[in-house]
Amino acid sequence: MSKPVIRAQDLLVGYGGAPVCAPVTFTLAPGKVVALVGANGSGKSTVLRAVIGLLEPSGGSLQVFGGPVDERDVGFRTKVASVLDDDAYFPALTVSEHLYLTARGHGVHGAQDVVAGLLAEFGLTDHAKSLPVALSSGQRRRLLLAAGFVRPRSLLVLDEPEQRLDRAMRDRLAARIVAEKQSGGAVLLATHDPDLLRAVADRAVHVADDVTRVLPTDQAADLIARENP
Amino acid sequence: MTDTVGTHDDEPAVQPFDLGDVPSAKSIRRFTAQAANARGGANIGDLLSSVYYAVISIAISVGLALGFAQAMRASLPPSPDVEAPLSLSLATLVVVIIVALAGALLSLAGRLGPVGAGGAEAAWWLGLPVDRRGLLRPAARRLPLLAGFVGAVLVALLDAGLLADPGLRVARVAATAALVAAGIVLVAAVGQSASVSRRSIALAGDVLLFLAPVAAVILARVGWSVDEVPGAPWWFVAALVPVVTLLAVVVDRRLGRMPARSLRESGSVATQAVGAVVSMDSRELGRALTDGAAAPVRRWVSRLRTARGPVSALITADVVVLRRSARHVVQLVVAALVPVLVSTVPQLASSVGVLLALLVAGSVAMSATGEGARRAEMAPILDRLLPIDAKTVRRLRMVVPAAAMALWSVVAFAAVGRWASDVPGWIALGLASTPVWAAAAVRASYRPAPDWGGALVSTPMGALPTGVATVLARGPDLVVLCLLPVWIAVLLRTVNATLLYTQVILSIIAVAVASSIRTRSLMETLMDAQEQERAGARR
Repeated sequence: MSKPVIRAQDLLVGYGGAPVCAPVTFTLAPGKVVALVGANGSGKSTVLRAVIGLLEPSGGSLQVFGGPVDERDVGFRTKVASVLDDDAYFPALTVSEHLYLTARGHGVHGAQDVVAGLLAEFGLTDHAKSLPVALSSGQRRRLLLAAGFVRPRSLLVLDEPEQRLDRAMRDRLAARIVAEKQSGGAVLLATHDPDLLRAVADRAVHVADDVTRVLPTDQAADLIARENP
Repeated sequence: MTDTVGTHDDEPAVQPFDLGDVPSAKSIRRFTAQAANARGGANIGDLLSSVYYAVISIAISVGLALGFAQAMRASLPPSPDVEAPLSLSLATLVVVIIVALAGALLSLAGRLGPVGAGGAEAAWWLGLPVDRRGLLRPAARRLPLLAGFVGAVLVALLDAGLLADPGLRVARVAATAALVAAGIVLVAAVGQSASVSRRSIALAGDVLLFLAPVAAVILARVGWSVDEVPGAPWWFVAALVPVVTLLAVVVDRRLGRMPARSLRESGSVATQAVGAVVSMDSRELGRALTDGAAAPVRRWVSRLRTARGPVSALITADVVVLRRSARHVVQLVVAALVPVLVSTVPQLASSVGVLLALLVAGSVAMSATGEGARRAEMAPILDRLLPIDAKTVRRLRMVVPAAAMALWSVVAFAAVGRWASDVPGWIALGLASTPVWAAAAVRASYRPAPDWGGALVSTPMGALPTGVATVLARGPDLVVLCLLPVWIAVLLRTVNATLLYTQVILSIIAVAVASSIRTRSLMETLMDAQEQERAGARR
């Protein structure tokens, strides 16, 4: 069995020493998708931020690629791609230039072709030369998601990737994530979408105040459906 | 397909690309800058023009400040031969101001980061596997250089203006100040790279800022003063250069080790603060500097025992806001001690000097007390939840500022009373004027956003946006107009019953004005009415 990409044991996350949820325990192996589910404010995004090194864990242990999380390490940044809800863009860079910057920044050869392919896949070809200010909220979200796929990675971390996407794009995203795990990549995502969960996840972790539980995908999807009728 | 970067044998990676060398951080920065320049329509002529105007503006500003310093030097009376029982030498006061400035700088550096990567840089640069030092170098250099420049100018003005020191000594003091100011920011950056929280650095600065005037009052009490600002010899200045350079090298070496979370937080605060400065929004600036260094979680949760109804809930909320902001408490204490210090320095204790001290210190203290109202203006959650009408809310929001300003008035006006040999009378006048400060604080807090679409008026100093000026004057206008009895009393150096009664009446008027919930000025309302009349006549 291959080494887990993420191993979280009684992981406590929070701000100023105050945890935002119960301790979290899960492992994520290569070629697998783990979804974090739970109500708004339950701490899903905070767990994700700890995994990618934007937040110091308050307790427990967290290992990514067999070691402690250190996003200052160039090797870590090479292997971990993340798409959070960062709605920030260079105002003077076009859509394709944002993606080109990311691809070239990771040393991707033939970045123009890679970017062109992703623009088509995420329905942004017509907006390739648009500045971010001219994009709709959903288009900006697609740009962020495309940036996660335009670079090499071993672990992909997605925070509610379904937000601001229409149904067709959600389906395309699900297919992309399935392809990701079939290629051997590990994906950790937080989601409120039961359909996306069923389509891509191998397991789910229900994050809550009192206790966090690892759940089968269908059970977690039912839970989400109940929480978000 | 090949994969060449960052894979281990047992870590399958999704790398459906041909990978080559990672570009340098400099080329990433250059790519971003070139795109920005190309889209912004900027060319070398525009750049030179901007640099020219910046240099000219700075030169004119420095020239004006030097002229002011020279005028001040000429107007200051000589030091008295006989020392008063409670007095402080001018040189001691200058030292105190310099120490306070150092504290303010450290506090500011801590609140701003001092190294950060804002918005787009944080989202699109920090995840790249390039050497972060190259990405962060310009941001890391900016603040120490700016602090050095401003520090040199301010200290040179103090030295040349207040102490009338010779040119060579002023140059030496300015050079020392530049190096020390840059060094303070670099020390804060070293702290940031060592994961010292921004709150701790800011708190250290606040403590220094607090201690400076307190120490000065103690020195005045014990009668200890210095005759001149201790000047560092040239060899000391020369020795500072390698120290500051070493600090700069240490910071540069550690830039790559600065965690992204710290860079993101600092960048966010700096972006918010710069935006506030550019749009001349002091409320937003205050929020940026306060919230950025606030504790994310309170160790003790207030039980809010004094909240027993809508009225007391509103007042309790304002008390908690003020109590939890160390910066504003320090601001209040320091502002209370300014008139005390100015009135104990013989050369500054003229009517004009005391008046200026009261005006400036009162405005600074007033600004500190209005935090609750400012937050309510931004997010009026409590105001809307409670069953109180808007006018009453405005009045209730004056309670905490009035209480805080009453304490300030007792200290500040007692000092003025000692200066004018009538402590009870001046304290009475101070307390009578307290509602004006509170009203001004609330009026300034609830002012609308600056209107940049208003008419421009041509002045010798350039175009004046009247829409912005009108908005910014809300609050200070009450201080200037409704405190006229105080200003007259200071200029006459005496308090009488007429001035006291007039002050009480003006205080009532100030409270009435600040209770108004109209957002447009009287002039704007009259112009609107005129416009409507014209439109009606045309129909």
